[in-house]
Amino acid sequence: MSSWLDYTINGLIIGNIYALLAVGLALIFGVSHLINFAHGSVYAVGAYIGWACFNYLHLPLPLTALVVVIVCAALGMVIERLGLRPLAGAPRIAPLLATIGISLVLDQLLQIIFTPDPRALPSPLPAWRIHVGGGTIGALDILIAATGIGSAAVLFGFLRFTKLGWAVRATAQDRDAARQMGVDTDAVNRTVFAIASALGGLSGLLVGMYFNHIDPAMSFQATLKGVVAQVIGGMGNVPGAIAGSLLLGLTESYGVALFGSSYRNLFSFALLLLILVLRPNGLFASRRATPPEPMTGTFIAPSKVLRVPPWLVVASVVVAALLPLVPNIPYALQVLTNAWLAAMLAISLTLVAGTLGQVSLGHAALLLIGAYASALLALDAGWPVWASIPAAGVLTALIGTALVAPAFRLRSHYVSIATLGIGEIVGLVILNWESLTRGPMGVTNIPTLAIGTLELDSPQASYWACLAILVVLALMQARVLRSHLGRTFRAIRDDDVAARAYGISLDRYKGIAFAVGGFSAGIAGGVSAHLYSYINNETFTSTVSISALTMVILGGMGNLLGAILGAVALTALPELFRGTAEYRMLIYGLALLLLIRFRPQGVLGTV
Amino acid sequence: MTLSRRLLLAAAAALPATRAFAADPIMIGVSGPLTGPNAQYGAQWKRGFDLALDGINGAGGIKGRPLQYRFEDSQSDPRQSVAVAQKLVADPSIIIELGDFSSPASMAASPIYQRAKLVQFGFTNSHPDFTKGGDHMWSNSTNQAEEQPRLAEFAAKLGFKKPAVLHLNTDWGRTAKDAFVKAAPGLGMEVTTAEAYLSAEQDFRPTLVRARDSKADGLVLLSYYADGALISRQARDTGLALPILAGTSNYSPKFIELGGAGVEGDFVMSTFFPGDPRPEVQDFVKRYQSKYDQEPDSFSAGSYDTMMLVAALCEQYGTTREAMQTGLTEIRDVPSVVYGKVNFDPTTRRVPGASYRLLLVKGGKFTVWDGSKVAAG
Repeated sequence: MSSWLDYTINGLIIGNIYALLAVGLALIFGVSHLINFAHGSVYAVGAYIGWACFNYLHLPLPLTALVVVIVCAALGMVIERLGLRPLAGAPRIAPLLATIGISLVLDQLLQIIFTPDPRALPSPLPAWRIHVGGGTIGALDILIAATGIGSAAVLFGFLRFTKLGWAVRATAQDRDAARQMGVDTDAVNRTVFAIASALGGLSGLLVGMYFNHIDPAMSFQATLKGVVAQVIGGMGNVPGAIAGSLLLGLTESYGVALFGSSYRNLFSFALLLLILVLRPNGLFASRRATPPEPMTGTFIAPSKVLRVPPWLVVASVVVAALLPLVPNIPYALQVLTNAWLAAMLAISLTLVAGTLGQVSLGHAALLLIGAYASALLALDAGWPVWASIPAAGVLTALIGTALVAPAFRLRSHYVSIATLGIGEIVGLVILNWESLTRGPMGVTNIPTLAIGTLELDSPQASYWACLAILVVLALMQARVLRSHLGRTFRAIRDDDVAARAYGISLDRYKGIAFAVGGFSAGIAGGVSAHLYSYINNETFTSTVSISALTMVILGGMGNLLGAILGAVALTALPELFRGTAEYRMLIYGLALLLLIRFRPQGVLGTV
Repeated sequence: MTLSRRLLLAAAAALPATRAFAADPIMIGVSGPLTGPNAQYGAQWKRGFDLALDGINGAGGIKGRPLQYRFEDSQSDPRQSVAVAQKLVADPSIIIELGDFSSPASMAASPIYQRAKLVQFGFTNSHPDFTKGGDHMWSNSTNQAEEQPRLAEFAAKLGFKKPAVLHLNTDWGRTAKDAFVKAAPGLGMEVTTAEAYLSAEQDFRPTLVRARDSKADGLVLLSYYADGALISRQARDTGLALPILAGTSNYSPKFIELGGAGVEGDFVMSTFFPGDPRPEVQDFVKRYQSKYDQEPDSFSAGSYDTMMLVAALCEQYGTTREAMQTGLTEIRDVPSVVYGKVNFDPTTRRVPGASYRLLLVKGGKFTVWDGSKVAAG
């Protein structure tokens, strides 16, 4: 029985750590309604600055913490100034992409400056520990808790009792009104980013010391856990973020206690979904709080669409189809094959995110479902590949829609976070459902693409197959967009209240859109499985979801041709920068930032 | 023409050891992570490769030609590793390919290498099906079916009766765990629990409570050095005093750096050790320390061994793709840090017979275990 006390303490200790991250994210979300994907990177920067202070300057901990706070606050202001303020008038999705780009750049810079090797960050605190139950609590645990609770208390007081705090809250409630009342909203944003980033950097330092381990890849996991924790507490709710974090830590710890470590994140994301579905405003939202503002449509800004003349589209397809006749370009063909596969995912995402306005952050899960469906149908059920791939598309449409259905009642950012959670859950279920999926060993010996006995295993054949499938899927989707379905989707996106008042069943049309999108993505996953011959739960990770979203935003939300163009561009760019080796992802990140800075509505424009 | 000459000059300037050569270099393709979450392993590979090439090219190269590698970053992502594969396959100067790092990235590219009859040498690929991808897939990664029984023997010698196994929930960790659990009963041990953990995991406290509650008398870590160090530290922090035995991938100076006092007294199995009298080990360890100012680990030893093996293949069988394939089937007794002598089994295309020793972390250093049992606590 005493073990439960240990699990509780361990859960609180790790929850404590999540709290440090969640508070900063909650603050930024509360004011700018932005999921700051760069928060984890600032956290990593804080950890490395701390490491440098300890190792090169031999500073004591308080001074090191001060340096970290100052540098990270400055970094936060730079992020706000360079990454976000120029996008103030841009579609709401643009700043999100900007934070993704900034995060890429920061992570790569750390990796280049400090090498990718993990480093030790020994804690200079005294080593005494208090025994509680079968475990212990150390000085660092107490410092982390004090920092988390202390900073939340200070922030709470700041927001409630100071003039700048009032300005922050006024900006959070209504930016335009605050501006009319004479609030310098730019200054407010700058302050918020500075405070949140200072806190993020400090958490990096403390968590680095706690694990005695820092590496440049630590940022993404930190963002993920921080986002989950703050959603549980209520997005934008600072004290709620702490409670949410502790609850998350406890859930994970009890989850491990009951089912083992491999199920740990399954519990955190299940908790996330449960909270989103039952109490979308978070556990600690007051009952009197107004329901979330209808924010549908706010992601999408009307823009002038760049019309591509039909003859140019036809000509491009013809050129693409003739390309394999050029001899000796297997590498280019492979890159383009990858681009066609990415485009199948991108058109699927642009339909649900752009046309329907439901921005999904878990789209890679559809690839996984499609890949496993086709691979297992071909191997275990003995289906021929030409039948297993369309079947995988149908299965993915059904499973994907069923999984996302509970999230249909959610709006805007809540949809994104719910789909992020669903995506992670799919990966974890595939890892743990061994009898069906073969677990971590993955599926080997998947047959190659074939029609009857004709194997499409040359680079030319797989190129043509993928191009043909993409063209068919794109034509199908263009047909859907031109029909009443397309108009209904856009109506729901632009104003769901008006759409419902007009008699449109939101759930039904959301279901149709996710099914159409799931079909394309499932086909892409299925084809990939047969091209790779081996898949496991890590073949399509959450980074694939993020890169699909960047393709869609870059092409123009809801823009079919734009999604394909975005897929080709973002698949080819990292390949073009290949010669720069370690610098390649840095250049890619910078290119992404420049594109979003100068064309936030996407290259071809939002439809 | 001028462009390619400039590129060549740039390449020559980047590799000082090869500057003296007039002849065309012999090119090796490498597909692996230089960026992304696994970049640290790619960086370790490079250290091993560069050290081996310093020696090879410093001694005149292969019949007067310098040996060089082209490292294509795949981020260990199957989408990119297949593109890299097409690129390397299409370049006639590439005679052999090394990598990729993860199983999804490596095995997705296998069909491309197999069709092009270019050897894909996956020196970190322990997935049992990797070399079954075709007759051009080879690996000198230590075989888990062979390694884990040895780890179990050491566990038994240390006096473990009821070990708890903590393993990475990947294809590698899973293969290793299965092999360990299979070997344990024959040595009089009963595995109390096998705890799989996710690869991005950092918090092991609840997992350790589970291991403790299983009434284990020792912990066996089938982990990489970074998570191994975290587990050991958190075990000591939470007051868990069970003896810890860690597998070969934990043998790294980083294990001690990251683990600090928390890994003191841990046992680590390794294929080599700086104090090892074998000349190839002495040569490798001394040169590694003087070049990089740190001790080598199992990952850099693997990449060093691989580059030395490729040099031996070129020396004895010539510098064509076909020569690599025949060479691998025929070559005997190549000196190796990990194995002592490398001999491929032509049916499995893997190398049997790695030598293992048990090290003990003592005073913040790896020392050879003196054979004394530990009191389970």
